[in-house]
Amino acid sequence: MAEVGLHSVKKSFGKVDVIHGVDVDVADGEFLVLVGPSGCGKSTLLRMIAGLETVSGGEVSIGGRVVNELEPKDRDIAMVFQNYALYPHMNVAKNMGFSLEHRGGSKSEIAERVAWAADILGLSHLLERFPKQLSGGQRQRVAMGRAIVRNPQVFLFDEPLSNLDAKLRVVMRSEIKALHQKLKTTMIYVTHDQIEAMTLADRIVVMHAGKVEQIGSPLELYDRPANRFVAGFIGSPAMNFLPVNVRGGRVLLADGSELADLGAAAPPDGDYVCGIRPEHLDIGANGAAARVEMVEPMGADTQVTVSLAGQKAHLLLRDRITSNQGDTLFVAVRPARVHLFDIRSGKRGN
Amino acid sequence: MTAASTDDAAPHGPGQPSRKRFALSMRQRDAIAGYLFIAPQLIGITLFVLVPLGLVFWYSLHEWNVLANTFTFTGTANYQYLLSDPALPETLMATGIFSAGLVAFNMSLALLLAVLLDQKLRGITVFRTLFFSPVVVSLVAWTIVWGFLLQKNGGINGMLQTVGIEGPNWLRTPTTAMISVIVVQVFKNVGLNMVLFLAALQGVPRELYEAARVDGIPVFKQFRRITLPLISPTMLLTMIITIVGSLQVFAQIAILTQGGPGMSTTVLVYYLYQQAFQFHYFGYGSTLSILLFVIVAGLTFLQWQLRRRFVFYEN
Amino acid sequence: MRTELSTGKKTALYGLMCVLLIPFVFPTWWMVTSSVKPISDIFAFPPDIIPRAFDFSTYSKVFELQPFARQYWNSGYIAALVTLGTMTFSSMAGYAFARIRFPGANIIFMIVLLGLLIPAEVTIVPLFQMFNRLGMVNTHWPLILVPIFGAPSVFATFVMRQFFIALPVELEEAARVDGLGRFTIYRKIALPLARPALSAVAIFTFLHSWNLYLEPIVFISTPEKFTLPQALTQYTDAYGGAMWNIQLAAATLTALPVLIVFIVAQKQFVEGLAHTGLKG
Repeated sequence: MAEVGLHSVKKSFGKVDVIHGVDVDVADGEFLVLVGPSGCGKSTLLRMIAGLETVSGGEVSIGGRVVNELEPKDRDIAMVFQNYALYPHMNVAKNMGFSLEHRGGSKSEIAERVAWAADILGLSHLLERFPKQLSGGQRQRVAMGRAIVRNPQVFLFDEPLSNLDAKLRVVMRSEIKALHQKLKTTMIYVTHDQIEAMTLADRIVVMHAGKVEQIGSPLELYDRPANRFVAGFIGSPAMNFLPVNVRGGRVLLADGSELADLGAAAPPDGDYVCGIRPEHLDIGANGAAARVEMVEPMGADTQVTVSLAGQKAHLLLRDRITSNQGDTLFVAVRPARVHLFDIRSGKRGN
Repeated sequence: MTAASTDDAAPHGPGQPSRKRFALSMRQRDAIAGYLFIAPQLIGITLFVLVPLGLVFWYSLHEWNVLANTFTFTGTANYQYLLSDPALPETLMATGIFSAGLVAFNMSLALLLAVLLDQKLRGITVFRTLFFSPVVVSLVAWTIVWGFLLQKNGGINGMLQTVGIEGPNWLRTPTTAMISVIVVQVFKNVGLNMVLFLAALQGVPRELYEAARVDGIPVFKQFRRITLPLISPTMLLTMIITIVGSLQVFAQIAILTQGGPGMSTTVLVYYLYQQAFQFHYFGYGSTLSILLFVIVAGLTFLQWQLRRRFVFYEN
Repeated sequence: MRTELSTGKKTALYGLMCVLLIPFVFPTWWMVTSSVKPISDIFAFPPDIIPRAFDFSTYSKVFELQPFARQYWNSGYIAALVTLGTMTFSSMAGYAFARIRFPGANIIFMIVLLGLLIPAEVTIVPLFQMFNRLGMVNTHWPLILVPIFGAPSVFATFVMRQFFIALPVELEEAARVDGLGRFTIYRKIALPLARPALSAVAIFTFLHSWNLYLEPIVFISTPEKFTLPQALTQYTDAYGGAMWNIQLAAATLTALPVLIVFIVAQKQFVEGLAHTGLKG
């Protein structure tokens, strides 16, 4: 087990800079998730930690040792790939034991480790099978087994669940979490799925266009997103953004109606972008008038699309409503759940 | 490569001193592995292709008679002789007819067979195997049997006679001799192109045909507007290979016609062989080699250019 | 173009294919049957599609007139060496061109590809001179070394490169994480997975070497060192006329074993060739 440090890490492909200097310190035993839209550089960052990409600038360290010029094999890491990368010409046991075999482990030792890993992952009855005879979820488990067999200092996961169907993804997600709780090894996990990030992570690094947007625990990111990008990326359905004017603590929509009163906690007067999560818009007797455009019942919740001062907004309601298209509702939001962002920089204003 | 070299330069610029004291970077170690992997082939190509190519050019500037043991620099004399060589027009004509005929016949027959083999029929692999079988029959053996069949009193004329046709002396009449060498070569090798075309045909997504059927497009038009464009990359590549191959045909000519009757089947390679190894004019033979190289390189370049125009689709 | 066909159409297609088969199959049949006909029957009229009488003495003559067994061995061992050598060196080069980044790779690859443009005939004169200097004329060295390292190997390298490019790169990355170096990745991961491409290369290379004709007649001059293609043309009488039935018997002996191997393994054969990366 070890901590991982990234210090002003940069990557460029030719003249194109794809990672512009990333600083993250991963604590020993932590589960860190790198999340962001595709092309944000999260996989490249992970591959630099693995040693599969060279580091163009800065330092990558594992367990206090700078590893920039070390081969992957000398970094004591294991990696689970998106499409599993199982060796098609070897059976499950061989796949899992291959690295130990290559590092010169004795036969009994390898068999013992493989049996241990197979037992943890429920693969014991599949050891003689070849990858093509396995289902997607089983392949996923073998890929993880191949990683844990070696008992490395750090586990790296590169979008390991994105090739599975929705149902299996949820199952495997819990298994990975359970695995971490059992092994307590440092894990760095890349995904574009913010729900995976929220459910798995001790801490999340949100990346966008080669930069770190925010680092924090899942609930920190949800409760106090540092900027508009993080606010829009974390949370599902996505946050509503409405242009507002703040005057004397009151948050006013374009048509002058009041959405919330922040009182003393309000930022200086002026124009802002106001972010409100759909689940935080409450219906009441008074508030801003919203015209119902669409009602989508989902069973447990109901999603309502409304027009609020000429802007489209979504509500996620726990209670069923009887409103129809064209009806008017009054919506308000509790002051603590109002996120104000600077119009130009997108930075948090309150 | 620009990416690699720029990348390389960033952390360990070539200007950095005392690089040797440090361990090699990952990328440098990998590059060394790369050079070691290609070394045997690169040395081989240098020794057996590049050096000989240079030597051929050097020889072509000399008058060199092996029997008389003379090797004198004559500058462009061989090339001047080449232009005035009375046999050259005939040789080029024979080469052109042979290559054009072979490519046209080979490509169209390969396509026809591939389309037939792409049908849903029971036992189709048996047909595929049989059509392909001449490819694995020894070239000289195949040529000898055909030579035997094409004798004046051979099998083919024998069959023709049973239905009352007096067959020609195939290999001793200029036109039929040329047709014969083309046909023998095509039946020997058409299986290769057939299999490549078949793979390409089977690579066309079936949904395209289903969509076309739903749109009411007739089968022939489907073939012209969907199949042909989609297999055109394969067709171009096989065409280049077939043309370059046709310019190298030697054994069939040497065994069947020895370039005759007259010079009607003396293709460039055979003429080169005669000049260099039968008459021992190594200098002039080398000049003919250069001509052959220029023709092959020119044709390949031309087709590579045409690709942009005629290949409708590429991965 | 695969649609269900009516019975009438099917019959027509079978008929067409049977007719088209004649020039592909009949010559081989004629070669085998004529080789066992008495000399008096081989030009008989009307031609005997099926032999009326048999005479197997031609087969012993094949071995009496020339050291045919020796020549058979020559062709066989040369083709085997060439095939093994090409598989080794072309797969290495193809792997490096597909997977390893090193300065100059593109230029070197272009230079290697030049070999595709250079027919053996172009360089035969200087090659003869080079091997002559080394005292290797009338040995098998030119027939072994040139195909393994020279122009004929370029096609194999190209095929291997195309295959390795298509191989998922994650497999090798997983192997690197598992602790393998370049050569071990090539040897333990890439090569075992390259079987289809390797078998295509093996087939092409074997047939190329087995069929070689110009090179043997340029380089080899003593019958004990002849290869089969060269030997086949030597069954002539004192006047240079072909001794047809003996020649056909020798041709049969040359062609039949390869043909039988092919028919037994035709699936791997044909499909291997179809997957050579020539799909464009």
